[in-house]
Amino acid sequence: MSWTIVVGVKQVPDADEVGIDPDTGRLDRASAPAVMNGPDREALEAAFRIRDQVGGEVIAMSMGPPNAKTVLKEAVAMGCDDAVLISDRAFGGSDTWPTSLTLARAAEALEADVVICGEETTDSSTGQVPPGIAAHNGWAQLTYAEAVDARPEEDRLAARRDVEGGHELVAADLPVVVAAAYGEFDPRPAPLHRKIYGENDFEPTVWDAEDLEIKDEVGLEVSPTSVGGMETVDPVERKGEVVDEIDDLADSIEEVVA
Amino acid sequence: MSDDDEFENGVVDVEEYDDVWVFVEEHDGEVMSVSWELLDEAERLADELGDDLVALAIGEDLDDVAEEALERGADRVLVADDPVFEPYRADPYGEQFRAMVEKRKPSIVLIGGTHTGRDFAGRVAVPAHAGLTADVTELGVDDDGLLEARRPAFGGDVLATILCEEHRPQMATIRPGVFEAAEPDGDADGEIVEADVVVEEDDAISEVLEREVGDTADITEAERIVAVGHGIDGDLEPARKLADALDAEIAASRAAVDEGWVDGARQVGQTGKTVRPELYVAVGISGAVQHLEGMNKSETVVAINNDPNAPIFEHADHGIVADLVDACPELAERFDEAAEPQEVVQ
Repeated sequence: MSWTIVVGVKQVPDADEVGIDPDTGRLDRASAPAVMNGPDREALEAAFRIRDQVGGEVIAMSMGPPNAKTVLKEAVAMGCDDAVLISDRAFGGSDTWPTSLTLARAAEALEADVVICGEETTDSSTGQVPPGIAAHNGWAQLTYAEAVDARPEEDRLAARRDVEGGHELVAADLPVVVAAAYGEFDPRPAPLHRKIYGENDFEPTVWDAEDLEIKDEVGLEVSPTSVGGMETVDPVERKGEVVDEIDDLADSIEEVVA
Repeated sequence: MSDDDEFENGVVDVEEYDDVWVFVEEHDGEVMSVSWELLDEAERLADELGDDLVALAIGEDLDDVAEEALERGADRVLVADDPVFEPYRADPYGEQFRAMVEKRKPSIVLIGGTHTGRDFAGRVAVPAHAGLTADVTELGVDDDGLLEARRPAFGGDVLATILCEEHRPQMATIRPGVFEAAEPDGDADGEIVEADVVVEEDDAISEVLEREVGDTADITEAERIVAVGHGIDGDLEPARKLADALDAEIAASRAAVDEGWVDGARQVGQTGKTVRPELYVAVGISGAVQHLEGMNKSETVVAINNDPNAPIFEHADHGIVADLVDACPELAERFDEAAEPQEVVQ
């Protein structure tokens, strides 16, 4: 028994390093260094835990520009067995519909038993891609997964899901797409030999839209949504009074709750 | 050679689609408050568009839910009532919802941005090739009758308007708490329509083995909130004392939820809920823009933080730089006395 576990990772601007453009006063994302989306590190850890349980391979996939291969090298350094970069100018302007189609086709081509993604990305934070992958392939899904438990004898994966006001344990047939709940899978330290291999010698396989036979089904043209405009949000005006004595603070609160 | 004939990019004749749908999320007969919030907001959109307002419920034994949806303003309620839908699972829900959308062609579909809503929305939008916007906080209609779904972007500094021009339906998940639900008017005029159930248990690809739902507190309705952040360092007790004294609900920033100190249902901010209490006390919350965005509808904001440079002080009406462990109980004492002078505690 061994499973193929495919992990979706994305290169995003480092949220901690995003500065303000002095001319426009807007966030300047272009100048921020590109890093692996934080929640994807936890998706990798979830994948390694399944591999520990049933054996098999963990393969990282990323859709992005050629330089996104750095996050794949990092994924291999963290313990992935292999990695694929899905890169093509044709993907430009894709919203979550073609993005999840592309990753769904890649997961199919990799013969995935399990696909794991982070709960959402820090740059667009829709959380729509994992269910989108499952929907495109007609696969089962386990989102907001806080713990995973492989059940190879049943060809199922079980997960503890965080649901409104509680938890549930759900078992899903393979192949299944998992979205790992953020904060639940602490990434393990990378073994040194993997780190050296991933950072120095490893080069990911590269696929384009043609390889996945989706050249006419991606990009701006097939994206149902478009951005109609952006406006800066004016901060809410607050008094900003800071007092020294608890009693003064209590007086202010008293006025509100009285 | 072009493949255009085979693949039309999912573009449809938008004229064929009308009505505004709201998904009524219920678990064990209990409706999530975001559904009623949406029904109220959607009534405004439907009026503006001259469309019908349709509530859609999926589950088991939905008579009461359907009736309440009519009382709360729906012109019609579509009901898919079957044991296969209880408890919730993404695959039966998604397939049923999708079948209803494909048959009845709604123009707009609004779904509460709960874990459940965010879980299955894609299983409708993907096969329907619909436009789906996540975590919307403002809704409008433009001059052409298109839905304007506004959502915070870049961590909340910018509000992006997302349109879906040539695909239908125009779908969105809406953050809980951003709209206020009106009271039902008791007038239950309208029609309850039983939809064909297209899902069978044998086709299900998932199974709920256990379900424990406990903390169903709804912070979006709270008048007073004491919210904790990373600064409490795992010690919830001082904040809880203050919350008890103020008769407030406990809420949290994402940092405190990720640490496991507070349940995710109580998270305020971009990936949590929007709250609008008369009093919001931020305890050990630094004031990241993603958090501010969920609490800036509060009437009065009070900040307690030991870091004088914490951005929260600029976004608060009243603040104090103090150690939380001392300040919270001290404050609590004042209100214990004030609120219940005659009560003997312990």
